[in-house]
Amino acid sequence: MIRLHHCPQTRSMRTLWLLIELGVTFEVVEHAFGKNLRSSEYLRVSLSGRVPALEIDGDRMIETGAITEYLCEMYPNTGLGRLPGTRERRDWLIWVHFAETISQHAAALTQQHVALYDPAMRSPIVTKLEAARIGKCFGALEAALSDGREYLLTGGFSAADISVGQAVYMARYFARLDGFDRLAEWYARITARPGFKEALPERGTELYKQDFYEVWEG
Amino acid sequence: MIRLHHVPFSRSFRVLWLLQEMGLECEVVEYQIRDGSLRTKEFVSISPAGRVPGLEVDGLRMFESGAILEYLCETRPEHGLGRAVGHIERPRYLELMGFAETMAALVEQLNLNHVFLRDPAMASPIVIKLNTARLTGTLNAMEEMLGDQDYLLPSGFSAADAMMGFNLFAAPYYVKLDPFPKLQSYVARLESRPAYQAARARDGAQDFYTKSFYPVPAN
Repeated sequence: MIRLHHCPQTRSMRTLWLLIELGVTFEVVEHAFGKNLRSSEYLRVSLSGRVPALEIDGDRMIETGAITEYLCEMYPNTGLGRLPGTRERRDWLIWVHFAETISQHAAALTQQHVALYDPAMRSPIVTKLEAARIGKCFGALEAALSDGREYLLTGGFSAADISVGQAVYMARYFARLDGFDRLAEWYARITARPGFKEALPERGTELYKQDFYEVWEG
Repeated sequence: MIRLHHVPFSRSFRVLWLLQEMGLECEVVEYQIRDGSLRTKEFVSISPAGRVPGLEVDGLRMFESGAILEYLCETRPEHGLGRAVGHIERPRYLELMGFAETMAALVEQLNLNHVFLRDPAMASPIVIKLNTARLTGTLNAMEEMLGDQDYLLPSGFSAADAMMGFNLFAAPYYVKLDPFPKLQSYVARLESRPAYQAARARDGAQDFYTKSFYPVPAN
């Protein structure tokens, strides 16, 4: 039995998309994004009070990257992982971890723009610096895709695309893809997949109420 | 030849420490965060987002500390520092590698707000307060995870402990460890490891923390 604890448009969307692409049977428990994640009931599922949390075969797992690695190891025949010892293993690991780097900047900006209800609480310079760091991450992806490859790994679509793709999905609320042509093409390619569309939030459950959050000028 | 691109007292310390635990020779190229050296073309060709660590190993270039640690453990299993696919501790090992980054991200936000802004008044006090509370939460979780174990995994020292290396030595600038007795003895245990000491000796001097503690601003 696999049960995913999920908040729309957060890192757990990455696990949701992966589970869909793996083609396995699973349940989803949807949570609101807020203090409810710190409730004693939820802390029994996720020690850190965060999503995703995964209940799997009597065990519980937290940490998106860990869940991605573990699921790909459990279902090796799906081809979404690159197991230790294989040619693309090193790059697969880099991208799965790099997805977390991008997510950290997106999470910092989500805190500033979305979670802080009073704009006066924000730090304009931090929103500017964090948006610039997302731009640098986009630059790194553009360079990786510059040889015209279809997916991050030349061996084909993998959980590296899902991980980085979903991180870019969150980061796009704070930094535009303009000027990153290869990245934009890759992003359009992977988000055209039915699995991605199925992982999108239902109307009314969105965390991001705007299409874009400009750098806060104070 | 293994070459580590390194900033003292940063995430690249994780790699430096693991290499010492493995007894592997490495060359260290040192950078500073504020002198522009991380933005050079040469460095960006190794780490495309301009961040440390960067590692040249086995004729390849790598970035992302967690990926580097996993790769080194998988390609050098004789040191027993990873937990391979199928190992009973595999899920916990992977979680801890991720959890170390969850904690590191909070330290990084606090570094940004307390240390790296030219004018401290540019920081958001509420963001500092929230992230300090979250960092405290991760320390609480670690205290619970440790229980009576010497290291994060029941079977003993692993790359997951080295992954925590940067965090636990930076976190006390923002959260005092007094309420966490298990964590304190864990830190002392890590510090007594010869490989840790060898790594610290090669780490170099950090140039960003100028105080021993940064309290949450009053308002």
